[in-house]
Amino acid sequence: MSRRSTTERGADIAPPDPWDPLVRISHWTIAAAVIINGLLSKPGGTVHIWVGWIAMSVLAIRLGWGLLGPREARFSAFPPDPRAAVSHLLSVIRGKPREYPSHNPAGAMMVYALWAMLAIVIGTGLIMTDAKSPITIAEERVAVEQGDWSALVNTASKDDSSDSLDQSDIVKDVHETAANLMLILALIHVAGVAVESHALRRNLVRPMIKGPPK
Amino acid sequence: MTNRPETRKQGRSQTIALAAFMLMQAVAAVFFVADATRDLFEKPPGAHSIIEALIAVTLVAGIFLVGWQLRLTLERMYAQERALDTARGDFIRIIDAQFDDWGLTPAEREVGLLALKGLDIAEIARLRGAAQGTVRAQLTRIYAKAGVSGRAQFAAWFVEDLLGDGISRPDDAA
Repeated sequence: MSRRSTTERGADIAPPDPWDPLVRISHWTIAAAVIINGLLSKPGGTVHIWVGWIAMSVLAIRLGWGLLGPREARFSAFPPDPRAAVSHLLSVIRGKPREYPSHNPAGAMMVYALWAMLAIVIGTGLIMTDAKSPITIAEERVAVEQGDWSALVNTASKDDSSDSLDQSDIVKDVHETAANLMLILALIHVAGVAVESHALRRNLVRPMIKGPPK
Repeated sequence: MTNRPETRKQGRSQTIALAAFMLMQAVAAVFFVADATRDLFEKPPGAHSIIEALIAVTLVAGIFLVGWQLRLTLERMYAQERALDTARGDFIRIIDAQFDDWGLTPAEREVGLLALKGLDIAEIARLRGAAQGTVRAQLTRIYAKAGVSGRAQFAAWFVEDLLGDGISRPDDAA
């Protein structure tokens, strides 16, 4: 209605500045979880499982937010569209990327790829730990250390047949492969944000941390 | 202009608190539900499991309520910002039309706008890289064209427009 009421910085259509708080907090929580579990924590350790469970809760909330959240956070604002993603990447190479009200199509594909990897890693992780919560696992480990081996009975009886051993090997491989893939995707994601920021001459990281400087 | 960033900041920290609370609730709910389900498999269901189920339902319902509250708050914030943007745009359009009416030159328009924003002659001169005498002369010409006695009347001209025909206050819209 008023042509003059465009924002002072950036284009008329642009992702929210800042993103809504739930998107921001969940983004950085997941990022921290990926870094901690992918690079720092001991695989299978209590910390590793704790972080995995927290990531699972945060992912669940973010997915729910994709249905119930404000417009820019909803899946409908960034549908998976590989063809649009490719044409967006081409436009970035040409140096004239278009603006979108939410994630750009390439960014959207990355979002879904990362969520899928995350879901696979979390799912396989749950299978590997028998879906025991980190509290239970920590308790069992303490019990085993104190000489009460009853916690091992269930696991041992399950691993008896070589068939289930094969299966758990497969699950472990999937867990590790997906995790490595996720780390690679995260690197591409960071590179993509840097390239897009440069092409748009606008800092795309800041809206994910806080609002415009005032 | 003075208190607006403050209220916006307050709205922001409120929404951040809500979002953080929602995520903490989610973590708590996931752990609790997992624990309660495990209990259910190990022990026969009893009064204990009824309470646990109640707590689980309350936790999850709480997450949805906080989420809904957060969304409403965010939407209200966006609507207010949009309304403010529109009002600002409208106001600028009124000023533009009035400047057209008075036949101000482009340089005079800029000086006039800066004067409306409350900048003094020295500041306007520095911003425009002009001598203070030039700015003073431009202001005098602007006041003459507008038929006002000085800066106070010049500003009042536009404020009167706003006060005159009841532009609704933002409080009424909410």
